[in-house]
Amino acid sequence: MKHATQLAAASLLATTALAGVAVAQEKQFRFVMVSHIGSNDANMGWLTESLAAFEEKYPDVTTEYISTNNYSVQEHVRLLEQAIATRPDGIAVPIVDNDAFEGPLRRAIEAGIPVVAFNIPDSRPADERIPYLTYVGGDEYLTGLHLGQYALEQAAAGNIPAPTGIVCASHDAAHQGLKARCAGMQAAMEGTGAKFEELFIGAEPAAARNTLQSFMQANPETNYIFTVAGWSSPWAWGVANDMGLSPDVDNEGVTVMTVDEAPVSIEGIRAGHLLAANSQGFWLQGYAPMEWLYWNKTLGYEPKSDILTGPVIINADNADKWAALVRSVFGDQEYDNQNTW
Amino acid sequence: MIGVALMLIAFSVIDFSGWWTVRTISNVVHFSSILALIAMGQALVIVSKEIDLSVGSVYGLTGIAFITFEQSLGVPGAMLAALGIAATCGLVQGIAVVWGGLPSMIVTLGGLFTFRGIIYVWTGGSVRNFSEEARAHWLTRAFGGEFLGFEVVLFWMLLMLVILSAMLKLTRFGNHLLATGGAADSAESRGVRIDRVKIVTFMICSLMAGFAGIVTLADRPQTHVTIGDLLELEAIAAAVIGGCLLSGGRGSLLGAVLGAFIVTSFRYELIALGAPSSWFITFVGVVLIVAVIFNQKLARWAGHNV
Repeated sequence: MKHATQLAAASLLATTALAGVAVAQEKQFRFVMVSHIGSNDANMGWLTESLAAFEEKYPDVTTEYISTNNYSVQEHVRLLEQAIATRPDGIAVPIVDNDAFEGPLRRAIEAGIPVVAFNIPDSRPADERIPYLTYVGGDEYLTGLHLGQYALEQAAAGNIPAPTGIVCASHDAAHQGLKARCAGMQAAMEGTGAKFEELFIGAEPAAARNTLQSFMQANPETNYIFTVAGWSSPWAWGVANDMGLSPDVDNEGVTVMTVDEAPVSIEGIRAGHLLAANSQGFWLQGYAPMEWLYWNKTLGYEPKSDILTGPVIINADNADKWAALVRSVFGDQEYDNQNTW
Repeated sequence: MIGVALMLIAFSVIDFSGWWTVRTISNVVHFSSILALIAMGQALVIVSKEIDLSVGSVYGLTGIAFITFEQSLGVPGAMLAALGIAATCGLVQGIAVVWGGLPSMIVTLGGLFTFRGIIYVWTGGSVRNFSEEARAHWLTRAFGGEFLGFEVVLFWMLLMLVILSAMLKLTRFGNHLLATGGAADSAESRGVRIDRVKIVTFMICSLMAGFAGIVTLADRPQTHVTIGDLLELEAIAAAVIGGCLLSGGRGSLLGAVLGAFIVTSFRYELIALGAPSSWFITFVGVVLIVAVIFNQKLARWAGHNV
């Protein structure tokens, strides 16, 4: 009986110990994504969904998604420093501001925490930039450039008017990714003779409309509006429509372009309100950084180039397919809710 | 009035053809009316010698509630429910200030963050679609359409200006409000329930912000969770530029309306003159300081103790 009791106790101990080992093996790594895409941005869903999918594939990894809820570089940096202090096994972060993020990220990398930049890279030359493993995301400059080039192709084909004035309407004056989108659009329009302006409209809808309308009145030659967020495209279209500037996609009046594979962008294209948008591969921007962090920790892999996930032009030809794809991720109800046209 | 006159003269000199157009005036008056609704509520709070930093978030939360509740409550029910939320925001903050003995700047700063946070959590980052039936509803059109070629928000703003001015100048409550802000101890010794006065004033302020949110979205339902972001600063600026003294007891609702007109007009003119639109916030700061100095000197010149 005594032996039986000892055997049972030993078995229980062994089972408990093994279970502990199993748990330790299950959650060996903790990767943190410190994002600027918070609950004030519907695109957060792409990233959190992809992290959940990653955890399913790699059960030994815990992923955490933390984000700011406003457009504040300072708050983002504070969040990043807090995340670094918890000593994660890897960090994925957008480089919203080179100077602001340089110090904390260099300290993290020197402390042995691998870093992958996602969504927004360090915009400086390779030998000057923060020594992260790689960048996974779209190219903001190419986003503006290719959308601009697409618009010029459509103008050459007679589907929309040739540009006489272009305004790049931005909601965040400090976001270098948005500035790069505008710069790409400006580069595309060079040589057309059209006047290009970057306009800070802010994120408050009524004030943004007021600002944009003021600009359009003072600059009547403007006939292309590029909103660097999908959710502000209905505001731009509404302003132009209120002013009687025929903003739908045709060969007269104003033409509106935007970004993102968001329902509001896709449905704006399908309804004929918007010429085009782009996809920067949001789902991959959540999943791929985690995979590279994992491969770096387990296999020592270090990619030698940036990994671009976009841009992909969304236009009237492929918008139906994009709608089906996005519905499959967001669900029909959420997709319809986000269509604010 | 002097400020508006000077501004109009200046704009006429530097940009006559751009400023004096129907489209420009219509644009400026439209947003001025929205801002003025918020600024009038803010002016009442400032008259009571308090301040409300949460009005931008209350404006946003009420607007979001209006759109979100519409699916289940219909347009009339959603309006009432949303205004109920706005009133509750004001009530809670008013109670915290009066009975909690807390500075209104701190309480309403907390409100600013809290109500904004509720918007983010509630919406998950995206605001619902406002259905075609809801947009066509007679009540939506009454708050968000056009009348005689003008946006109806202008008429709502003028109506509220008349009602609130009458309340402030002609009613017992208005008298108590001015007395509370001017000399609280004296008012209390004469039987004025300054706690009730301040709580009601916070509620009116939140209701005005919420009403502005509903009117805005009834007119343009395409919005975002950033709705109302930083509007509190423009509303406070409008009230102060319009002559409200932060020392309480004095203020003009017509002044707040004109202050909103000045703030919005300068946004237009800065853009029209080719200045980067981000300069606007700098301008508001400078004008705010100038207005405070001017108002204080004017009040002292008139023999008031400020």
